[in-house]
Amino acid sequence: MDDDLSADQQVLVDAATRFAEDTFPVTKLRERAFDDAAFAAAYRRQAGELGWFSLVVPEEQGGGSVSGNGVLDAALVAYTRGRLLQPVGFVGANVVAYAIATAGTDAQRAGALTALIAGDAPGAWVVGDLSGAPALDGVVDATPNGDGWSLSGSAVMVDDADDTAWLLVAAATPDGPAQLLVAPGAAGVSFAPVDGLDLSRRYADVSFTGAAVPASALVGEIGDRTFAERLLTLASTLTVAECVGAMHQELDMTVDYAKQRIAFGRPIGSFQAIKHLLADTSTMLEVSKAVALAAAGQAGDDDAHAAQAASQAKAFVADAAMDQAQACFQVFGGISFTWEHDQHLFFRRITTGAEQFGDASWHREHVCVLAGIGSGN
Amino acid sequence: MADDMVSLDDFRAEARAWIEANLEAAPPAARKGARTENVSPEEIAASRVLQRKLFDAGFAGISYPKEYGGRGLSPAHENVFAQEALGYVTPDFGGAGAVTFGPIGRSILEHGTEELKAEHLPKILSGEEIWCQFYSEPEAGSDLAGIRTSAVLDGDNYVLNGSKIWSTGAYYADWAMCLARTDWDVPKHRGLTWFVVPTNAPGVTVNRIEQIDGAAGFCEEFLDDVSIPTSYVLGEVGQGWSVTQTMLIYERGAGMSGSAGEPRRVAPDMVALAAKVGRLDDPIARQCIARAHILDWAQFHLGRRIGARLRSPDRPAPSIAAYGKLAMGTFHPIRAQQGVLIGGSRALSWAPGDEDAREPSINYLNGRMVSIAAGTNEMQRNGIGERVLGLPREPSFDQNKPFAEVVRDARNWSGKVG
Repeated sequence: MDDDLSADQQVLVDAATRFAEDTFPVTKLRERAFDDAAFAAAYRRQAGELGWFSLVVPEEQGGGSVSGNGVLDAALVAYTRGRLLQPVGFVGANVVAYAIATAGTDAQRAGALTALIAGDAPGAWVVGDLSGAPALDGVVDATPNGDGWSLSGSAVMVDDADDTAWLLVAAATPDGPAQLLVAPGAAGVSFAPVDGLDLSRRYADVSFTGAAVPASALVGEIGDRTFAERLLTLASTLTVAECVGAMHQELDMTVDYAKQRIAFGRPIGSFQAIKHLLADTSTMLEVSKAVALAAAGQAGDDDAHAAQAASQAKAFVADAAMDQAQACFQVFGGISFTWEHDQHLFFRRITTGAEQFGDASWHREHVCVLAGIGSGN
Repeated sequence: MADDMVSLDDFRAEARAWIEANLEAAPPAARKGARTENVSPEEIAASRVLQRKLFDAGFAGISYPKEYGGRGLSPAHENVFAQEALGYVTPDFGGAGAVTFGPIGRSILEHGTEELKAEHLPKILSGEEIWCQFYSEPEAGSDLAGIRTSAVLDGDNYVLNGSKIWSTGAYYADWAMCLARTDWDVPKHRGLTWFVVPTNAPGVTVNRIEQIDGAAGFCEEFLDDVSIPTSYVLGEVGQGWSVTQTMLIYERGAGMSGSAGEPRRVAPDMVALAAKVGRLDDPIARQCIARAHILDWAQFHLGRRIGARLRSPDRPAPSIAAYGKLAMGTFHPIRAQQGVLIGGSRALSWAPGDEDAREPSINYLNGRMVSIAAGTNEMQRNGIGERVLGLPREPSFDQNKPFAEVVRDARNWSGKVG
């Protein structure tokens, strides 16, 4: 994605690539190996050892970037993960780790953050409403209950969520939105695994039925919408980078195919009908890479423009991703309508990435909201 | 030369001091879309004076060699000056200015004889000579190597006949660089030669073309027995295509991010338009506003990415410039469409004479120019497909036979290859 990696970033990317190729090649994906809890746990720990969950956490809290811009480094890993269709709730774990690292308590750091960094537990940011849009004002209701809250409501299609996971729940309290950290196995929280379009990851619907959460679960301040925005900036940025990685690999496969497939006496890639479609797709991929890096760079620099950049990148890439999925399918033709061929694995992942943490329309509206356009702002 | 290479920081300080002391602050201008403005003789005259001022102070042709009146510094220095000069009145020769200091000046430098360089480069840099390109023809645009203007040797002169079109700013240019066919009996790329043509030479007729927006920045030319001395050949006779490659490289700066910064304010023109028609809270209009801004922003970051790769000496990849051009050619019409979608009837109609109010319509018309100018979207797609992605070429019907036969055979083409 980035042509100018530092030596340390190259080491990070190379290690991620080796690990992914060795541990979770596409054959493992097809076996649904990640549905096996023991496999998933082992994978997650190894990923933790490679630093996947600590790049956006400051050194003094057990993390550390390799370039000084942790979000950019994490985006490089995300890109590699997308390219190689890797499982694990990478985005969620990083968002939860980042939230605790920047606004958590010592107890949260000692418990959840340590576990997340090591890959001992999955982490998920529970924020998506039924449409998949991020509900920054809270996706579940938090009713005051003693010193803490009682949660009720549900969220759908949460990546890598089960009863071993640390959940950061975007909750609506009477005093405004709050991010509440829910420990693995908390009473009143249930997980219903769901099947989905994307075969490379596992998702669950999460329900809260009067789940009691102590006051100590609060991360950050109540009513701090800016904090929720910062979490969304990170989630969008890393989701975009994963998506762009998958797009890169899918287009590579497609261009190779267009050079090899013969029809009417010549490689189909020589026909302008195919060549021009691929050139357009390649251009939009190049733009996608440029905006993905720009958004990651600004997020890691805590640039005041980072939230807007993240939404702009998400909106652009979401559209480009879905256009590309169709373009590549069209070039492959019949072969890509078979289960055996890998194109649909990318098609599925790319489409899911385009929708997660807000689709293109949601993020375009969000750009207007962030810019203060209109009377509602 | 490396010894005189002043550091970028020192150069910035020097440029800033000179600019502050010598240039006037520019009045704030509203964002204008792609526009080919009419340029008046008074504006050109004023720009020539200003260019001379830059030249005398050593800020003209910053990356041109010193022996031809330049400063002998790098393109990065030139960029620094452009950054510092933002917000000041600088010479504006319209479209012909970009052509003169870019493709024309560079190809003279690279391919010209010592006499040509000495005669023209200092005058170009001092604002004395403005140039244009006699390049496309009514029957050859994308297929540039298929031009039909002929040049026939007659003693010490070549005699040129034919017609040219889409020459930016030819109506105020002093000189033209003209591509002509000197040999019809060889394949098309091998029979081409470039000529230096004074626009006031006998037999040259320049007409302005009235465009879809009513402006007339482009011209068409007729060449009737125009006599040009052999010393005014640029490069070798019959080797015009290699000179063309140089010109194209400098033309393809399009789509690159220049000295302007990242666009952060959300499409101010679209926001103003939505406010005017009372649609700032309309979700559909808001989608259009954001879409327009995201295209601006994405184009900027693409330009920066490609620019960095083009400047990188480790990975020479001139063909990726086509990404920037194709993105522009794709995005501009879409962006312009957003104005029509937001403004609706008020974008499509206005009080007579209300220049500001007609801006969305003008942009809608002009917004598509980039998709056909300086290499159509299709040519960019061929370039990306073949030279970046490595896809095989289409079969060719004209590569290997004499151009005279190509023209004859094409009229009776049956669809058979060969």
